[in-house]
Amino acid sequence: MDQSIRSWRKGGVVVAAASMALALGACASSSNNSGASATTSAGAPLVIGASISLTGDFADSGKAVQRGYQLWASQVNAKGGILGRKVTMKLVDDASSPTQVVSNYQNLINRDKVNLVFGPFSSLLTVPASQVAKRYGYSFLEPAGGGPKVFAQNLNNLFFVQPAPVVKSGDVFADWVLSLPAAQRPKTAAYTELDDPFASPIAENVRARFEAAGIKTVYKEIYPAETQDFSAIMAKVVSANPDVLVGGTQNEDAYAQVKTLVQLKFSPKFMFLSNGANSPLEFPSKAGTKNTPGIMSAGDWFPGSTAPGSADFTAAYIKANGGTADTIDNSSAEAYACGQVLEAVAAKTGKIDNATIISTLHQGSWPTLLGNLTWGPDGAPSGSFNLIQWQGGKLVPVFPDATAKAKPIYPKPSWGG
Amino acid sequence: MSIPSVLRGGIFVAALVTLPLLGLQHWFLNLLVFVLIYATLSSSWNLVGGFAGYPSLGHAGFFGIGAYTLALIFRDHVLATGYEPFVLLPVVGLIGALIGWPIALIAMRTRADVFAIVTITFLFVVQTLAFNLHDLTGGSQGTALPIPPFNADHYEVPFYYVLVALLLFTMGLTFATMRSKVGLSLVSIRADEDKARGVGVRVIGVKVLAFSVSVGITAMVGAVWAYYESFIYPQFAVDPLITIAMVLMTFLGGRGTLWGPVLGAVILESGQQVLTYQLGAVQLYLIVYALIFLVIILLLPRGILPTIEDRLRLYRRRRRTDAAPDDWPGDLAAPSSEADTATLLGGGAT
Amino acid sequence: MHALVQGVILGILTGGVYALMASGQTLIFGIMKVVNLAQGAMVIMAAYLAYGLFTRFGLDPFLAIPITTVIMFGLGVGVELLFLRPLRREDKSELSLLVTFAVALLIEGVLSVTWGTTYRSINASYANSSWTVGSYQITVVRFWAFVLSLVALGLLFWLLNRTRFGRAVRATVQNPESARLLGVEAQWVSALGFGLGAATAAAAGSVYGLLYPFYSGSHYDLISRLLSIVVLGGLGSVGGAVIAAVIVSTSSAIVAATISPAWSEMTFFVILILVLLIRPRGLFGSVNRGAI
Repeated sequence: MDQSIRSWRKGGVVVAAASMALALGACASSSNNSGASATTSAGAPLVIGASISLTGDFADSGKAVQRGYQLWASQVNAKGGILGRKVTMKLVDDASSPTQVVSNYQNLINRDKVNLVFGPFSSLLTVPASQVAKRYGYSFLEPAGGGPKVFAQNLNNLFFVQPAPVVKSGDVFADWVLSLPAAQRPKTAAYTELDDPFASPIAENVRARFEAAGIKTVYKEIYPAETQDFSAIMAKVVSANPDVLVGGTQNEDAYAQVKTLVQLKFSPKFMFLSNGANSPLEFPSKAGTKNTPGIMSAGDWFPGSTAPGSADFTAAYIKANGGTADTIDNSSAEAYACGQVLEAVAAKTGKIDNATIISTLHQGSWPTLLGNLTWGPDGAPSGSFNLIQWQGGKLVPVFPDATAKAKPIYPKPSWGG
Repeated sequence: MSIPSVLRGGIFVAALVTLPLLGLQHWFLNLLVFVLIYATLSSSWNLVGGFAGYPSLGHAGFFGIGAYTLALIFRDHVLATGYEPFVLLPVVGLIGALIGWPIALIAMRTRADVFAIVTITFLFVVQTLAFNLHDLTGGSQGTALPIPPFNADHYEVPFYYVLVALLLFTMGLTFATMRSKVGLSLVSIRADEDKARGVGVRVIGVKVLAFSVSVGITAMVGAVWAYYESFIYPQFAVDPLITIAMVLMTFLGGRGTLWGPVLGAVILESGQQVLTYQLGAVQLYLIVYALIFLVIILLLPRGILPTIEDRLRLYRRRRRTDAAPDDWPGDLAAPSSEADTATLLGGGAT
Repeated sequence: MHALVQGVILGILTGGVYALMASGQTLIFGIMKVVNLAQGAMVIMAAYLAYGLFTRFGLDPFLAIPITTVIMFGLGVGVELLFLRPLRREDKSELSLLVTFAVALLIEGVLSVTWGTTYRSINASYANSSWTVGSYQITVVRFWAFVLSLVALGLLFWLLNRTRFGRAVRATVQNPESARLLGVEAQWVSALGFGLGAATAAAAGSVYGLLYPFYSGSHYDLISRLLSIVVLGGLGSVGGAVIAAVIVSTSSAIVAATISPAWSEMTFFVILILVLLIRPRGLFGSVNRGAI
């Protein structure tokens, strides 16, 4: 057994050496690292850190968030920064991993000592990250974590920068349907829901309201995320023959549901898809442009919005990234809005530290390009989304009347225009 | 066990134990927590994949089982001291081992490649169950663990020590195994299972034991991880990438060695965390992982430690051409643990 | 009842596609005793290639198959020569698994760098059309995919049974030592065999891209299903894989139609576990080539 013992010793030495190197490296970098100073003296740059998914499953949306943050930073610096301080964004990649996101915020807060932080992409990463921010007293403005579990944490430092919790995005559809005269309302409803924190709760909320108003549920199905084949599910929808189909969806399943319904030659009178159908370019391309008219969805920002800062945002975005207003991902707008909120806090209070942000944002209404936002004690915003509908190949807001640009079309035209 | 080796082992333990007391920064302790997690995971995988030679690709399933078990036990629980989850860790480990037992019985009747298929399948089954059993696991919405009421100043420290304890336990187990009959049996199984059976090694019993212990430890690490993250989702708690990391780290450091997996974890986990953070969008991390894997398997198939050991032995052998071969089996045998088997099975001198 | 029959139709049609994917995998095992964990990734890669040809040149995915087949064949031969050939004999069984797994990751990484991680699908003009037969809908794409699978499998059978190469392959599968004695160059058979397995993934990829949305990480789901199919069919038996594919696919569709789609995934796994418990060598696997 001699060689085994020798290997242990060698192994022990190597591991010890590696660990020492690591420790020395850590001490060295932490003592050398000046990072951002914690002083708020005028002129010192305001460093805002955020971990976003630049690789991995959330990469495409993560990059949209990155564009939003960076666009805002350049816009605000062109206006002189915040309280005379130039904004620097320190953005790092979490590879769509909750392990990495925790480490990233640890590093941002404790090693690089950033002044403020913004949130990552998706509720999945927001939840663990918000805990880290809370532990060290940092405010947590986040553009993309709006699932119920985010607010169930009851963190007073967290602010979800969208008009309402994601769960409520179907409510505006329910509002509209229930505002119709009884004779024109749907009598039966089917619910096809993706098992996902962003998707099925939306449909479930709608279902609760519809059932309370007497609209009968003739079919409900919650399907898992890997479902690729919707033929079985949609076939059952067809045989139930509902007046309204409420889809709690993300993107891919929304496209698949539409395609399958076209194949099965069934077109419900009312159709709502919580996600997927609110994507200005992807939806017509994946589901077929002539199949889109009449389908409804929910959204916060839309091209052509007249909310505060929207026109500037659109123009600057196109200038920096090319494309048209229709190619702008909502996530960029939401990220941009985080910055707008910061600007507003600075303007109102004359200060921009974490404690001020946390105490100020729980009251009042804050204008952004998503509309005016207000927050409750758990960080949930108390506004509502816009009901948007496909008309003539474009997405237009149709309800509530204050933001509507067209009247809603119903019943939904049949497939193929 | 010679005195110098006890000394080095002791230094290692002392270093681990005193590290947090040096006033290290939070982010570094955070890094150490993750390194320890993977070091323990790799060491436990080593028992099955390194020693017994059965490449389990489904250990992440047990990681997830441990995570969800802890979440279930503490659902809607308000913690008093915050140490309750740690106290209940052995229960989680036992549950993991008990689930692993029948799996091992079914899976280890087959050859190594089918064994891998079964374990991968098990992984996907666990993941599917985690998604579908809403009432138990919260489904895709994830499930929360109670927030530990530890002071923000030394939040990571309890986790650190618990993980150190787990790592030392696993390494101690590995050490004891290497020197015991069970260890020799495992090695003989890896070299040639049929011969081992012929010689009278209790093949099934030993394999199943190794597997159950290995997954029990994995489950405990999963529980600690869940507690540290405070919130778990099915696709992250039961993630094939965790298995890949364990396997890769063990291979890098050296399968079937005591320190190999730990070395692999130190190198890869800290490297990955640091690189992902510093280099911004490291688009290529999956490619880099895969390439490291392929390079190791093809060029350094036995891992860093055994390769270093071989080189050193070769060097020493050249220098000792005159010396009498007075230690047995020492220099006479080929530099691998297979040598012990050959001696054992081939009827060496005893 | 209607839903059930619709489900069975769906299962059979989809089974053809899975049969095509699984046949390559089981063939590779038969020749080289290697479980190719990268088979799923190869299908996805072929799907991306077909997607690229479709979006860039407007080439119909079915017509793209000859091109993608050649590319994937080359890839397969390359993988075998570079990564599998150098493995030493005694470690081969254990390490080849990890090597093919690493290759799968490599492919996934390259795909995600090249095309990003958004879902893609090939939206041919006929993508949504369906025929109405009685009261059932038969999707055009699925039907042609089934036909294609039959054609491709027919070609494979012809290749294995009527050509010299095929004979060499079958000889190697049955008895490598004797085959070598008879002059069959095992080295070449291995490389070409792996290439052939990868080539079947090419055809399957075009079809897959038409039927389902995919992204670089889709291969995990795919490989787990393929594994249960090849184990049920018997590792090494192409005919077995075909039959198993139809059985598993149909069962899964029936479960989706009658119980719930959430559990149709489990059908694959349940079948795998049952096979391993009751008859580990599968339907048509031979005793010493099978699971034990």
